Amino acid sequence: MTTIEVNGLRKSHQGFEAVKDVSFEVSAGEIFALLGRNGAGKTTTIEVLAGFQRADGGTVRVLGLDPYADRAAVRQRTGIMLQEAGFFPDLTVAQTVDTWRDFTAAPRPRAEALELAGLTARSGTRVRQLSGGEKRRLDLALALLGRPDVLFLDEPTTGMDPEARAATWEVIRDLARQGTTILLTTHYLEEAQRLAAAMAIMDHGVIVASGGMAETLAARSGRVAFRLPAAMDPGVLPLPVTVENGLAVCRAEDPDLAAQTLLTWAAERGLRLEGLEVRTATLEDLFLESAVKETR
Amino acid sequence: MSLTATYRLGTRLFWRDKAMLFASVLTPVGIAVGLPTLMRHVTAEGVAAAAALSQSAIAVVLSITAFMNIGVALTGRRDQLVLKRLRCTRLTDGQILLGQMASVATQTVAIIVVCVVAVRIVAGVPLPANPVAFAAVTIAGSVVMTLLGAAYTAVIPRLELAAAYTMPVFLVCGLSAGAMGPIPLPSWLQAILDLLPTTAVVDAVRTGELAVPFLILAVWAVLGYLALRLWFRWEPRRS
Repeated sequence: MTTIEVNGLRKSHQGFEAVKDVSFEVSAGEIFALLGRNGAGKTTTIEVLAGFQRADGGTVRVLGLDPYADRAAVRQRTGIMLQEAGFFPDLTVAQTVDTWRDFTAAPRPRAEALELAGLTARSGTRVRQLSGGEKRRLDLALALLGRPDVLFLDEPTTGMDPEARAATWEVIRDLARQGTTILLTTHYLEEAQRLAAAMAIMDHGVIVASGGMAETLAARSGRVAFRLPAAMDPGVLPLPVTVENGLAVCRAEDPDLAAQTLLTWAAERGLRLEGLEVRTATLEDLFLESAVKETR
Repeated sequence: MSLTATYRLGTRLFWRDKAMLFASVLTPVGIAVGLPTLMRHVTAEGVAAAAALSQSAIAVVLSITAFMNIGVALTGRRDQLVLKRLRCTRLTDGQILLGQMASVATQTVAIIVVCVVAVRIVAGVPLPANPVAFAAVTIAGSVVMTLLGAAYTAVIPRLELAAAYTMPVFLVCGLSAGAMGPIPLPSWLQAILDLLPTTAVVDAVRTGELAVPFLILAVWAVLGYLALRLWFRWEPRRS
């Protein structure tokens, strides 16, 4: 069942077309990652989906409703963690959660929300004294208060230390297991790769790559890299390579076979391939490939 | 229930912000109680002069505690993206604004009442002859000035300029109502200033005549509501 449906979305700000003809779908209980560089149009897309902005063109549906026209109804069932939003700095963490509980139907108990976000020990601290990462965790606690069916997470772990990030990933996975549909944007490609079942890469307001995470990566080339000996012309190698910062990089569908070919070729000539690295495609490779294609 | 929650939040924040408490409570109370008390003891007319000044000082409380307070508070919450965060909840836009405005209007009425009682005690100024009419017009004035202050945030570019943008309103309202003392104004200018909502409230308190002041307040309420609907910004301008 489709929970989020975006079809031909267009949105401009003061003449600048931030999102141009974007389409994707997110199924119930799925974690979907929207990736892209700064200014790619991710936040604008999420703000339209969250009902803060009206689409200029195309259709957007969340839980079958127009999030702008039916904002009140959609809000009852969605949680939102904005990339940027303020708190009341003089309230403590506990007071902030209590205040937001007043605004939420059937909210989680305060203790449960704080524990989910890993903020129990900071409940008596004023918000102005929290670190950037702790504020993100408070943000998460507020977004989860209403046990939402759909969760929008815009850069959810920015500023968090590795431990908090790992704990947040676990919370997100748990929520998805319980059936929450999650749309997240992130700069951390590792985060998207670990969490999301499906993804779309945006650049300059359009989607340049999309699909199921595992299938998309499986269809991409792997990578073999080694330090290119100083005097060597890369043209003599048995496989085509590009030279990136002194590294010879060979992209191949089967990176193990490519490495074997290169090592055999080197052994026959009594050469060593220093710093040899073999790996299958990562989201980072895909991201860089897509971005390069788009700028050409 | 949600409206009650935003009302409670607005009240909690009103009394928690120490800088704003100094500006929105201590300053107007100081003016509204201090000046009539001083007048009571230094002028020949004594109580009559103190009573006149006490009535004029209502304009000061309305322009500072209602108009300036809501203007600065909403501008700050807009610029710090707190309003945007509130809009992430199930609260409607109306509930968010109405709760905050109702809270400020209530505090304004309470402060006017405190000032009236204080000048009765320390300067011997008689209590209002018609308490019901007094209550009606001060409540209406507080609501209208709070509404206008909320609408006025549309012209305030950013929080640092909020106090500077609201100060002229306080000066004009205070001057028009005579709270700055007897400053002679050209009759054409006084006629225009008499149309201010604060002056309407002071005139009603002074004369007991309610019809015209309520008409003026109603017109300002409609203008404030329309401005709020048309131009209120929930987020800072994108640069």
